[in-house]
Amino acid sequence: MSVSSLFAATIPVLSGILGALVSSLPISLTGGTIPPPLLSFMAVYFWSLVRPDLMPPAAALLIGIVQDFVSGSPVGLWATAYVAIYAVLGGQRDSFAGLAGIGAILGFALAMLLVSAATYGIAVVYFWRVLPLMPHVLQIAVSVLCYVPLLPMLNGLQHKVVGPLRSEF
Amino acid sequence: MTNGTWRTGRARSGGRVPLLLAGIISVLLLIAGKVHFLPVDRARTALTDRAGTFFQAANAPILAATRWLTGIGHIFSVYSENQRLREENTRLAQWRGAALALQNRVDHYRLLLKAVPDVRYSAVTAQVIARSSQPFLETIVLNAGKASGINPGEAVIDARGMLGRIYVSGEHTAWVILLTDLNSRIPVEIRPGNIPAILTGNNTDQPVLDAMPQNAKLRDGADIVTSGDGGLLPAGLPVGMLRFDGKQTKVALYSDPMAAVDVRILDYRAPIEQMPKPADADLPAPASLSPPLPPPPQPSEATVAQPSDPATLSLTTNPATALVRKSRTPTRQRSADPDTRPRVPIATHGPGQDSAPAAELPDDQDNQ
Repeated sequence: MSVSSLFAATIPVLSGILGALVSSLPISLTGGTIPPPLLSFMAVYFWSLVRPDLMPPAAALLIGIVQDFVSGSPVGLWATAYVAIYAVLGGQRDSFAGLAGIGAILGFALAMLLVSAATYGIAVVYFWRVLPLMPHVLQIAVSVLCYVPLLPMLNGLQHKVVGPLRSEF
Repeated sequence: MTNGTWRTGRARSGGRVPLLLAGIISVLLLIAGKVHFLPVDRARTALTDRAGTFFQAANAPILAATRWLTGIGHIFSVYSENQRLREENTRLAQWRGAALALQNRVDHYRLLLKAVPDVRYSAVTAQVIARSSQPFLETIVLNAGKASGINPGEAVIDARGMLGRIYVSGEHTAWVILLTDLNSRIPVEIRPGNIPAILTGNNTDQPVLDAMPQNAKLRDGADIVTSGDGGLLPAGLPVGMLRFDGKQTKVALYSDPMAAVDVRILDYRAPIEQMPKPADADLPAPASLSPPLPPPPQPSEATVAQPSDPATLSLTTNPATALVRKSRTPTRQRSADPDTRPRVPIATHGPGQDSAPAAELPDDQDNQ
């Protein structure tokens, strides 16, 4: 495996980790009223559909753990949710990956709904109390909105960087 | 806008670690974190220490741009702002004189009453380098840690009031649990009336008040400050204002965690309560281990304790009392050392209660 191929292989995981770090930057255009978008999950979702060979379950687990660490969440919370949704996506990959246009956005919205529901359920059990739902709804909304401009960028990354460097595929 | 060339890698999906194993590992991590089996906090701070460089590097241009944009906005209001500040300065100078006079009087009264001086504390200023506003938690990360003397439990404040407290600190970073976080509980009191309560975070911008006395008379807009109960936080830190929201009693916080950039961490240690030093006449008879002391003056009949008095009996026969007395003797001899100086009310004019304000006052203010 060449260096360029190795570099290309790490891009999906690195994009997820970068997404987790960027989500934690103290920037808010809404004065903190809306939670930041779940950028790390966008990477997990996109690469697990487009290049599942570069986004194995271990990578989803790793990105989830990084998200847990940098967000201050209980360790394993996001990781469990990511792995669970990865399993769901794996079973329905043909349906999700074939979506285009608005359908691709709606597919991500459905995945966000699932990951938020999974996280909410785990958090309720973990903290053993009923948590407010509104922040989850807002996070789903803002993540879906951010996915619209990020999807072409991720597609470009796949077509122009990862694809050519991994030409053996 | 498709999801891409997904078919290229389908045949090799799965990776080396099976999905089931990843799921088991993630659940085990969750359980291990819950039961504190793993040193999660240490690992978290170690990672944050390393990621702190990234956060600071990413923050620098954003902060610079924000300040620059804010500065441009201020250019158009420089003249009116200057006029306003001049007026405010004049007003504050008058208030300063009154405050100094009152402080001098309070110091004088405290001296007369032999009051225990207020506990003072130092502070470290740090910058917010990361913020997590997840649906179920509210935390921020600061660029100061153990290397700067930051320890868990210390209060974090901004210019307006209390933000939260440190819950874990690394070498160069520290995590702050905000007052709005679900897991935040701090003892507060409602003023006026000094009504005790617990401020409970609920992941909204207005935490709620719990554990209040049933018949407490509350009014909208009452001040909420830290009570200092438990000795973890200093008393009197401004927190917010009371707001009624239906049946719930909420608090509109003075601080703004989302806008906070520079914060201060208070190095507060609750004073260790010490026994008052007994006078020589109050000391019991010397124990066998203690060096012989000169005989105490003969008490009069009125002050001689009757053997039937159990309290007096235990005081005079308790060997622990004698040991305490023995250990205090050298401390008293070393009273010149400020760290080991016993708490003598008259002499303990604490380091924070310096005499500088009084020195700036005219002499006649002592007589007010």
